[in-house]
Amino acid sequence: MYGWVGKILRVDLTSGKVSTEPLNTSLARKFIGARGLAEKILRDEIAPDIDPLSAENKLIFATGPLTGTLATSGSRYNVVTKGPLTGTVAASNSGGFFGPELKYAGYDLVIIEGKANKPMYLWIYNDKVKLRCAEHLWGKLTDEATDLLLEETDPEAKVSCIGPGGENLVLFAGIINDKHRAAGRTGVGAVMGSKKLKAIVVRGTGGVKVADKDAFREAVLDARAKLKAHPVTSGGLPTYGTNVLINILNEAGSLPTYNFRTGYFETADKISGETMADTKYVRNKACTACTIACGQVSAVKSGPYAVAGEGPEYEATWAYGSQCGVDDVDAIIKANNLCDQLGIDPITMGSTIACAMELFEEGLIDREAAGLALNFGNAEAIVKLTEDAGYKRGLGAELAEGSYRLAERYGRPELSMSVKKQEMPAYDPRGIQGIGLEYATSNRGACHVRGYLISPEILGIPEKLDPDSIDEKPGWLKTFQDLTAALDSTGICLFTTFAIGAPEIAAMLSAATGVEYTVDDFMQAGDRIWNLERLFNLEAGLTAADDKLPPRMIEEPIATGPNKGKVSKVPEMMSKYYQVRGWDDDGVPTGEKLAELGLA
Amino acid sequence: MATVRFFATIRQLTGQKETSLRSDTVQELLQALAEKHGVGFQKAVYGPGGLSDEAIILINGRHLEHLPAGLKTKLENEDVVAIFPLVGGG
Repeated sequence: MYGWVGKILRVDLTSGKVSTEPLNTSLARKFIGARGLAEKILRDEIAPDIDPLSAENKLIFATGPLTGTLATSGSRYNVVTKGPLTGTVAASNSGGFFGPELKYAGYDLVIIEGKANKPMYLWIYNDKVKLRCAEHLWGKLTDEATDLLLEETDPEAKVSCIGPGGENLVLFAGIINDKHRAAGRTGVGAVMGSKKLKAIVVRGTGGVKVADKDAFREAVLDARAKLKAHPVTSGGLPTYGTNVLINILNEAGSLPTYNFRTGYFETADKISGETMADTKYVRNKACTACTIACGQVSAVKSGPYAVAGEGPEYEATWAYGSQCGVDDVDAIIKANNLCDQLGIDPITMGSTIACAMELFEEGLIDREAAGLALNFGNAEAIVKLTEDAGYKRGLGAELAEGSYRLAERYGRPELSMSVKKQEMPAYDPRGIQGIGLEYATSNRGACHVRGYLISPEILGIPEKLDPDSIDEKPGWLKTFQDLTAALDSTGICLFTTFAIGAPEIAAMLSAATGVEYTVDDFMQAGDRIWNLERLFNLEAGLTAADDKLPPRMIEEPIATGPNKGKVSKVPEMMSKYYQVRGWDDDGVPTGEKLAELGLA
Repeated sequence: MATVRFFATIRQLTGQKETSLRSDTVQELLQALAEKHGVGFQKAVYGPGGLSDEAIILINGRHLEHLPAGLKTKLENEDVVAIFPLVGGG
C-alpha cells in the first residue's frame, strides 16, 4: 500500500493476546485514517452507551496516510475512544515524533482492548510486540517514565504514556508523547489508566511508501512554499508561539477573564507571547516534517516556580492566566509544566480552578477545604491545585472531575464554563459569534480546533468576517468543521491551514496514497466523519438539548472592555446550522443525508 | 488624544509598546505614524500604497474593515487603536 502501511495491531490487555490484521482499504478510502478511520472502527466495535472507563471501551492510537511522510507537518496521530469527561466520541490529536514512528514500525493503527490486571506497557519493535510489566513505572511522572522506558528498550524509541493523572482516572487526563506533546483533551489518558496501560513504546526501522513520487514531491514543495510565504506560518508562530494570540484576543475584547465574567484582562501583556519571547523562550522546537516550528522551549530560571520544559501554548496560558485572573507568567509556566508531568489537560484544569475560584468567592468552597484562599489572581493556587487534582488530594479530588461536576456538587452547575461537560477554550463566544456555534456543536464537547472560526472572525484568514454577524456563520462553520475532520484524518497539522487549504492537502493525499481525492471528495470525507461522530453521540444518549452554551454566555453580557454588553446569539443560529448540515429539527442526520455520505 | 498600542513585530518596528497621538481620523493617525517610523512601518501597516494586507488594526476592539467609515473613522479622546501584524495560533 501507499501512504497507509496496511496493518492494524490489536492488543487485548485482558488476555494478553497480540495480533495483527490487514487494513480495510475500502474503509480507509472513505474515512482516510487517524480520526476518521479510528472513529469508524470504534463505532463498529463498541456500544456507544458503555461506561468509558470499563473494559468494554477501546482505545485506538491512529495515524493517517500522511503521518510520517514528508507532507508538510505530517507528524500527527489521534487517540480515539469514548471519552469519560463528556460521554461523547473522543478524538485527541498530538504531534511530535511518536505517530511517524508507529508508521515506520509498520502500523496504521493500534487498537487497545480490555483491561490488564496489573500495570503494563506495550513495546513495539517493528513486528516484535510484547506486553511488559510496568509496576516499577506506575506513579512516575511522564518525563521520568519516558527516560526509564527508553533505557530499558531502545534510546531511539518513541514513548507515548500517561502520568499520575491518567493512573488516578482524572477525567481530563491526557496522553503525553515525546515528553511534551499531548493528546490533551477529552480524558483519553483516563481511559488508558483504566486499562492499566502505562505506555506504548515504539521503534520502527521501516518507511512509508508514496504512490507517485514526482507528484508527491511537487505537491509538498508547493505547500511548503506557501507556508514559507505566509506571515503567520513563517513569522508569527515561530517567533512568538501560539501565545501571540493573548494580546489580540484581549484587544478584541474576547479574552475570557475571571471564569468568563468578562472578556478583557487589564494586565494581559504580562502573559503575552511578546513578553514570553523577550523573557522566557529559549529556542524553537519542531515536530516531524514541520517547517513552522511553533513549539517553544521555555525556562523560568529562578524563584519558587523555576522550571524548564516546553510551552505553555496559548490555551494553557489563558486557562491559568486571565481565566484565573493570574498574571504571574512564572507560575503559569510551572502549572503548565505540571500538566505535562502529571498528564492532564491544562485547558480543563485551569478553567476548573477558575470555577473553584468563583465558588470560593461566592462562599461555597471554604479556605480550609481548599488549603489556601482561592481568590482570583492567586498564582500559588493554580500550581497547588493542579498537583492536588493530579493526585486527587483534598479538594483536588473534586477538581479532578472537571468544572461541570464540581459546580454541580456545590449546586451551581451554571458556573461551569463548559459544553457537554468539557470546558470552553480561550475565546469568548459573546464577542465572536461563530466560535460560539462551534463550541455548542463540537462533537467532543467545547473545542476550538474542530472548526477554528477565529481565523476569519479575528485574524482575517482567509477573509475577514465580522465577529458580530450571525447570518453566514452556520455555512462557514460547516465548511471549517468538514475541512478539519478530513485534515485531522490525514495526519498533518491544523496550523498548515493558515497558508494552505483543501486543494493543496488533497493533492498531497492523492499523490501519497494513489487514490484520487478531488477537493469535493476530500470535503465530503470530512462531512462523512462529522456525521459519523454525530451518530455515535446520538446513540450514546446525547440530544439537541446538549448543543448549548453555558447560560452565562446567553444571559450575562460581557462586563468590561470593547465587547461590554454583548451576549452570544447561538440559539438564533442553531436551526440554520442543522439545516446546512442536512439534519432535522432535532439535530438528527436525515436518511437522505446519510445515504449521500454512505453512512445509511 | 487616542492611545495607540503596538504588538508583535510592529512593536519591534516602532520600538514602543504604546503612544498617544492627537488625530482627527484613523487615516491621519496612520499617516503620522508612517512618517515617524519610516519604511518598515509603511510596508507592514500603512504607507503610500495604502493599508497593508498583512496588518490588523482594531479601533476600540473592532476591525477597521468592519467600521462603516473605514480609514475616515473619527477618533475621539480615549479611543484605543491597536496595531498587529497578521498573526495566528490556536
